[in-house]
Amino acid sequence: MSEWMRKILESKRETRNRLAVLPFSEKVKILEKLRDRSVSIASSPLRKRPVPVSRTGN
Amino acid sequence: MKATLAVINQMQDDGVIGKYAIGGAVGATFYLEPFATLDIDIFVTFQKDAGNLLLTLSPIYEYLTARGCKTENEYVIIEDWPVQFLPTGNPLEEEALERAIETQLDGVRTRVMTAEHLVAIALKLGRPKDYSRILQFIDGGILDSNKLNEILARHQLLEKWEAFGDRFLKKL
Repeated sequence: MSEWMRKILESKRETRNRLAVLPFSEKVKILEKLRDRSVSIASSPLRKRPVPVSRTGN
Repeated sequence: MKATLAVINQMQDDGVIGKYAIGGAVGATFYLEPFATLDIDIFVTFQKDAGNLLLTLSPIYEYLTARGCKTENEYVIIEDWPVQFLPTGNPLEEEALERAIETQLDGVRTRVMTAEHLVAIALKLGRPKDYSRILQFIDGGILDSNKLNEILARHQLLEKWEAFGDRFLKKL
């Protein structure tokens, strides 16, 4: 593993640990924001792009 | 979510459900970083009715729909949150519910399963997302290994735990 990648993973771990020790109520607020974003993404028209129909014979 | 839990507490006070505990991703969020999840898993026991041995979720749905909540497949939408009520179905879940931790969310009382019980249930379920969550618990240094081993032994999960370790932990 490169030093650069090691630093990225370490940074991610530190962020997770920092979030994990927050009070439950703070974490639930973040969780609610994450949920709202997931719902927005799920309902985005960009996710419902029709599958291109293969055009054979052209 | 605070309002959702307040409604569930009221259900308990009104005798519709017995004890309850939060499990799943919201339960895990009590110990780990927050997860994106769309629903709340509520494990419940029912008040025993001697005349009716058939376990049914109907009283929960009737109670909530009478108060304006809508249902969506297996969920009841309570104060904007889809809630799935899961009757405890085996001794592990019963124990997890019994030993859940009392806590509060902005002044609203609630109960969350212990980290070790969440891990044991995830191990028993064995889906990829469950294994991923177990790894997060291990990585976070949250677990009491003695307590976890006791739970795994009591519920015949030690072999599965060993297989999990062989598969996922040897390279860590």
